[in-house]
Amino acid sequence: MKVPDSPWLQENKPFFQKLLAELLKQFPYASLLAQDGQQAGYSVNRRLTNLTAEGLFGDRGCVVKVSDGAHWTEYSFNCTGEDRLPAILEEIRAAAAMSAAVMPAHTTQPEYPIPQEEETVFSGSTDYEVDPLSVGDDVVLAKLTALRDTVLAKDERILDCAIRINWSKISKLFLSPKKDLTQNILWTEGSMVVMASRGEEVKTAYEPVSCLGGLEALDQMEGHIESVTRTALDLLQAEPITPGTYDCICTPPVTGMIVHEAFGHGVEMDMFVKKRALAEQYLGKPVASPLITMRDSASAAAQTGSYFFDDEGTMAKDTVIIKDGILQTGISDWQSAMVLGTEPTGNGRRQSFRRKAYTRMTNTWFEPGKDKVEDMIASIEHGFLLEQPSSGMEDPKNWGIQCMVDVAREIEHGKLTGRIYSPIVLTGYVPDLLKSISMVSEETVLSGSGMCGKGWKEWVKVSDGGPYIKAKIRLG
Amino acid sequence: MITKILHTLEALHIPVWAVEETVRESAEVFFIRKRLDLKRKTSTQDATVRLYRPMEKDGKAVLGTFTVPIHPGLSDEELYHTLEEAWSRTTVAWNPAYELYHGPKADLQPSASGFAKASLEENLRAAADTIFGADTREDAFLNTVEIFANRTVQRVLNSSGTDVSWETRGVQGEYVTQCLKPADVETYHAFRLRNPDWDTLRQEVEEALTQTVDRACATVPPKAGTYNVILSGDQVREVLSYYQSRAASHMVYQKYSTWSVGDKVQGENIEGDTLSITLTAADPYDSEGIPLRDRPLLENGVLRTIHGGARFAYYLGIEPTGSYSTMQVPCGTVPLAEMKQQPSLHVVSFSDFQMDDFTGHFGGEIRLAYLNDGETVRPVTGGSINGSILDAQKHLIFSQERYRSASYDGPLAVSIQGVAVAGAGE
Repeated sequence: MKVPDSPWLQENKPFFQKLLAELLKQFPYASLLAQDGQQAGYSVNRRLTNLTAEGLFGDRGCVVKVSDGAHWTEYSFNCTGEDRLPAILEEIRAAAAMSAAVMPAHTTQPEYPIPQEEETVFSGSTDYEVDPLSVGDDVVLAKLTALRDTVLAKDERILDCAIRINWSKISKLFLSPKKDLTQNILWTEGSMVVMASRGEEVKTAYEPVSCLGGLEALDQMEGHIESVTRTALDLLQAEPITPGTYDCICTPPVTGMIVHEAFGHGVEMDMFVKKRALAEQYLGKPVASPLITMRDSASAAAQTGSYFFDDEGTMAKDTVIIKDGILQTGISDWQSAMVLGTEPTGNGRRQSFRRKAYTRMTNTWFEPGKDKVEDMIASIEHGFLLEQPSSGMEDPKNWGIQCMVDVAREIEHGKLTGRIYSPIVLTGYVPDLLKSISMVSEETVLSGSGMCGKGWKEWVKVSDGGPYIKAKIRLG
Repeated sequence: MITKILHTLEALHIPVWAVEETVRESAEVFFIRKRLDLKRKTSTQDATVRLYRPMEKDGKAVLGTFTVPIHPGLSDEELYHTLEEAWSRTTVAWNPAYELYHGPKADLQPSASGFAKASLEENLRAAADTIFGADTREDAFLNTVEIFANRTVQRVLNSSGTDVSWETRGVQGEYVTQCLKPADVETYHAFRLRNPDWDTLRQEVEEALTQTVDRACATVPPKAGTYNVILSGDQVREVLSYYQSRAASHMVYQKYSTWSVGDKVQGENIEGDTLSITLTAADPYDSEGIPLRDRPLLENGVLRTIHGGARFAYYLGIEPTGSYSTMQVPCGTVPLAEMKQQPSLHVVSFSDFQMDDFTGHFGGEIRLAYLNDGETVRPVTGGSINGSILDAQKHLIFSQERYRSASYDGPLAVSIQGVAVAGAGE
């Protein structure tokens, strides 16, 4: 089934068209992005149950972008309607005129040309299997509650089991002199978290679920019960690791974190414009093992980072970033591409209509290889199987790695010993890690339960992943 | 919008509700080097309605809840249907009953911030002048600057009589500093001001530029091992956030924290500084309309307050204190310079320093640290620290110097013994 259009966007489209027409009388170029979101979040744990329609993706409003022929201005608002039109136009004029008031001495404004657009009319919707609005809230909560009870009954050392699932339907309309684009996206994501306590410490294990679609994602939950419960209980025996550089096997979620945090942020080409990315100097050069091919695409993978066009009206593309270990290109928003003289790759994304667009990842992953996971583990004399990524931070300028994982399972003489270490900080130099990859498993798995920030803000939905990889990594 | 919402709640005979409205405007600038790349303004109005249905389940009083955003511009009919549907959805998710906060009815409380004396554009300009005014070095410079000047008016009402509103002003943003030689490096910095404290902002930018030059000279990570680690600035706040989080009523109710008032949460036989933390009221009310006032969280390592909103306070049978975002901590007696004279690793910049409130572990990758090996002091970069507040809390030593940010007023630095560092030479 296809995700339906937003009635609010349809009803207000004549107003948006009129606003754009008025703006084009005053400015050489103008565009408008309107969004309408709807969402629901369900969660249960031992003592609490929650249902809400509130959240980051249930937002509704507009942003206009205008050019006076050289300089860009944006105005974000959410009070719309014919009666507001004169006030909105006045506020946009005031915003465009504020440069002199806010620019310190010795600062200037760069001049951007008026964009040349191709005539594009598009309307698209993603597919789903289980309509969230046709499944009763009580059915969803009953399922989550049953899963929770199953986990809690497994072992009395379990302190709590928190399960949540959220669906978001996001509709967008992009209008410019030559573009009229509409899209409707539905994705669902959630997680199962199991907690066990050891004195003052509360150890946490989790498994995410996500899909581009509806509440069919709920069906993924049950399969995680055994593994997430076992990990939480295993963590009660966890020890601090002896810092060192080890042979490691990364599970697909840990591979995904390395793909996204360690390398992906470094090929966001707004960083090239700012001369903040080391990757710009490595185009056409080896940055990873020949076993590695890396892609980012909102269109070639069906996950939570998928869409048809970005927030600047550029159609989504499939970008091969690394091919056989050689850096091919970065990903870019439209304005950065204009500065760099490159083609935009459809990666201009906003947290919402309230925020500026930056170059952002979508679905980002390493392609699969040919190795079997059991052979990879058997190949390690002394090392670790890394599971459960918890956080990461980019360093595009210097390619330093910071990724944290909650679980390192020890491998001795090709076998898991049962000993477990936590928490673990992965550090090092990105190309060193990527070039050390010596084995890659046969299947890529993408997951999209998390959010991506730029620095410490600008949250957007993404997915990342890859196969199991074997690499040398500094752990602490 | 509030009036329409209240009329609709009355028409639907909804007995228990809470409404939160936020009207926000901002002016924003985005600089790349010394060029204004983009300027923005925003004007938004948002409301959230929480509906509560008193019910009985298995002989116990429960409260069904549902939360729904109300978008501006809804017609009367659309608003009616939105709240009618939301009300029907309160029957499925319920929890033990509790009472909403019985708060005051009060007039709008204007912002007392110095930012209230000027327009958004004037505040933006003053911040930009300050930041770029500090960009005077030849060996390091500002790569990127983003500044946001905000004005927000919040109003909170509920069916128990609360009706309060208040204005907040602020300037926040981020800047990236870069140094090209001997290595091309950058450091990232965020700031948030509740008042126009331009001298402090200028000093922070100058220090950031100095640190970036030092990072350019740092080429190797510290040797792996166990160190006396000194943390400073926002990292001290992050370490102390453990105590605020563990004392939150929702953590206690859900048994994620076993703390209760009177507990010696820093442990027995403390050999370092004893901890005293005060939760401070940066705003007049919290998001439930609960009036905020300064409250002692810890006194000499002893827990004095379990803090939080109305719901978990009711469950635990304690006073609702509201939710706090700022804390004050008394300074120690040891000058930072004296701390640094001892063999130590003073980490001044992490890629992302984190405290895990559930486990007490803290850590992060080192972007810049100063290593005193007992003979020389040199900048190092790379590697990571991985410590536990549960192991460290009896031996914390705080600096004499004070550091103030939008969420913290307390010692500039803390010295922590025996922290594991992953670095070179493994």
